[in-house]
Amino acid sequence: MATGCSNDSAQKQKNTTNKQDTHAKKSIPNIFTNKQSKQAFKQTIKLNHDEEDKHILGRSFFTIPWSQAPSATSARDGLGPLYSANTCIHCHPNNGAGIPMKNGFISRSLVMRLSIPNIQNVDNDLIEKNGFVPEPTYGGQLSLHSNTNTPFEGRISLSYENIILKYEDNSTCEIQKPTYSIKNLQYGEFDKNVNIAPHIGLALIGLGAIEMIEEKDILAKEDIYDKDKDGISGKANWVYNPESNTTELGRFTWKAAAATVKQQAANAAHNDMSLSNPIYPGDNCTDKQTECLEANKGVHDFDLPMYRLDAIAFYLKTLRIPRERKTANFAKGKKIFNSLGCVKCHTSEYKLSDGNTIKPYSDFLLHDMGDALSDGHTMFKANANEFRTPPLWSIGLYEKASGKMALLHDGRARTIEEAILWHGGESTTQQRAFKALNKQDRNYLIEFLKGI
Amino acid sequence: MISTKILGSIALTTILALGTVGCGSSSSSTPTEKGITTSQKRAALTTYADIALANYTQAYDDAVALDTAVSKFTTTPTEVTLLSAKTAWITARESYGTTEAYRLSNGPIDSEDEGFMQTWDAPEGQLNAWPLNESMIDYTQVQASASVTGGNIIDGSGNFSGFTHPNGADEIKLGEDGTGSIDITTINVALLEKFTEVDGDANIATGYHAVEFLLWGQDQDYNNPVNDTITNGADVAGQRPVSDYLAGNDASGSDNHERRIAFIKAASKLIVDDLAKMKSAWSDTAGSYRKAILGGGTNAITEDIAIKQILIGIGTFIKSELANERMAVSVQDPSEEDEHSCFSDNTHRDVVLNYQGFKNVLKGEYLGKSKGTSLYSLASSANKAKIDALLSALDTKVATIDKAAKDGTHFDTQIKVGNANKQNIIDTYRQMRDLGNAMVGIAKDYGIALTTDDVTDPEESEQGKK
Repeated sequence: MATGCSNDSAQKQKNTTNKQDTHAKKSIPNIFTNKQSKQAFKQTIKLNHDEEDKHILGRSFFTIPWSQAPSATSARDGLGPLYSANTCIHCHPNNGAGIPMKNGFISRSLVMRLSIPNIQNVDNDLIEKNGFVPEPTYGGQLSLHSNTNTPFEGRISLSYENIILKYEDNSTCEIQKPTYSIKNLQYGEFDKNVNIAPHIGLALIGLGAIEMIEEKDILAKEDIYDKDKDGISGKANWVYNPESNTTELGRFTWKAAAATVKQQAANAAHNDMSLSNPIYPGDNCTDKQTECLEANKGVHDFDLPMYRLDAIAFYLKTLRIPRERKTANFAKGKKIFNSLGCVKCHTSEYKLSDGNTIKPYSDFLLHDMGDALSDGHTMFKANANEFRTPPLWSIGLYEKASGKMALLHDGRARTIEEAILWHGGESTTQQRAFKALNKQDRNYLIEFLKGI
Repeated sequence: MISTKILGSIALTTILALGTVGCGSSSSSTPTEKGITTSQKRAALTTYADIALANYTQAYDDAVALDTAVSKFTTTPTEVTLLSAKTAWITARESYGTTEAYRLSNGPIDSEDEGFMQTWDAPEGQLNAWPLNESMIDYTQVQASASVTGGNIIDGSGNFSGFTHPNGADEIKLGEDGTGSIDITTINVALLEKFTEVDGDANIATGYHAVEFLLWGQDQDYNNPVNDTITNGADVAGQRPVSDYLAGNDASGSDNHERRIAFIKAASKLIVDDLAKMKSAWSDTAGSYRKAILGGGTNAITEDIAIKQILIGIGTFIKSELANERMAVSVQDPSEEDEHSCFSDNTHRDVVLNYQGFKNVLKGEYLGKSKGTSLYSLASSANKAKIDALLSALDTKVATIDKAAKDGTHFDTQIKVGNANKQNIIDTYRQMRDLGNAMVGIAKDYGIALTTDDVTDPEESEQGKK
């Protein structure tokens, strides 16, 4: 069944796509934008009046701060008691990627996922539905902030160690290795087996299109046992979606732990802001957090009722995708990208059922990225070292949207080059091949990546 | 009207700088002309500039009158002088409201372009930004509780670095990184300008809405205007007592009347100063913006670029600002927090006047009279007919919003679920979107290629900053 990563579907549609690209001035499909500014991820596709209303409602709840209940701003109360941020956009600046540090402080877009190993006597239902075992006292995520009368959970301390790596041509590149520790714990010590996984907010690009990719097109590239012996496996994550009450293909988040945009929006609302909603009801308190449990709740059934949650998901799915920006050496870089084998996981292209072709540069499958990059976090089928291949489209616009570039799951890489050098595990061969390139070819590759 | 979200004013000004770069560069390669001559275009631009000067002059005069009324009120605070000041504020909003159609057009009110355009400091945000952070300025009553927020500019002293949100819980810090600090020892115009400088986008302390808050106080019908138990029932605006301006303790339990007087006087003076800049920008004097947009001087703007940026400006204003940010967001949420002039319950006039301002610019009219050749009068008859139909339908709908408010159902009540007026507001903003999109057709008559994307702007705010 598995056809292997090397089967690059990009080649098949290459010609037709290129033809389109040469007419930059011509009207472009509704789902794309030519914008390259810091607003590039915030452009709306053309909508009818009903859709535009829904989009505006979703945008409003995505961007405007939530406050503690009860509050004057009744439509937007219910934040906390424990939370990481007070708006969605906080972790996705201009709908772009988060950054770990801002002005010398830990940014709210960096969250710490907490778990303990799945040993015997655990609740199988929890594993099946939650994907991992949360830390018993603090729950699945460390909350840095809290409302009045509820202690926050703890603070993050982050330091970097600089490491100099050498290319085969003897030139060097400095990468930074992060060390995390948690201080000021307010509810006592962590479980002794706790795992702390730092995750940063992802850029919100083409989410509707990703949802539309046919499941079979993703599964076709699975090669769990590396039958084609190219060193690269590729494994789908199968995750529980509370809305459908079934197990579905995971497509979103660092660990591919969410099946739909709406599920992930609901999950983030619950875990990052403690907004109760129909998909993840209740607040994110554990049964050991008395103040959190006893805190004043809003007067509503849900802080974020279904129609507003739907609107947020709709907003995110009706944003345009920036088009490729082809510079002088784009084609040369693309050739290198393909020949190194990067494209084996960073699948360039998908044809959607609506006729659009998208180029996310991801297979949306899990891959072992090696110990150096591991976050230790297991999530449904995703093991400690495994991450979903993150889509690379518009990576060249990240810095504009967020003010800084911060790549990989914890934002440790300050440049595309550093991110490539962190690749290990299944991608070790490609990383070594990159190091063997001469400077000019490395630059071509990066120029290509900045233009996709 | 609370916290750190910025809709409208400041929000959309930022785009312009970006939007107009494209404007200038691409219009040289515009498609064929449709028979509108350069002198006709120049005539339409002259009308545009004439109306700008007339309207900003009126807005300036009304702001001076407001400043005078505020002075009289603060010198002798009585119910009568307070009412006069409120009336002067409402009058000032009437003339300012129509000038808003000059926004988003790369003009002096809000262009953030470097160089020439910096001459007038783009004062739009400082003049008209909302929602205000009222609890940064003065005491507010915490919802559903008897407590009152303190720690604001008026009751504070020394270095000011943060304040309490009116929810009574959240601490809001000044500055991009939350480490801003401003010495608030003396409240004057310079201090308020300092707030714009340090924290302009996030925490608004100036402009019409600051004066509005200091005259009316909170309109606490937030949760349910029908069951409003805090002010005097539904559809009653803010009820700030005259005693806030007299010696003696205010609701926060301390005497702050002197600093409050200093604040409102500085805020109303700053409005006058900012509008004086607009008057000078549009005057027929050397180095003015009027000279430039009529093709004169070293900063001359060609007719086609000028017309393109005006059509993008009014199209974006009516569609993205008025229809979407000011009306659709309020209705869809639905939430009084998103109301424009919330303290005075004067939002219906913002809608009427913004719409009137759009019509003024498009049709070359001011105060109901034609001022000459207009962008509309030179357009094709097919497009004129289309515009006529939209305006005729909108005239009725906008008048309905206005009348309902004047009859006692304020805008914040009209947007409520179940209110009979809600559908009319929805129909209004939807048709305003169509009207904004119709500028694409008008542009075509001038040989200018636009798409509806050019009049559709995503919100530009730095929302979520805290």
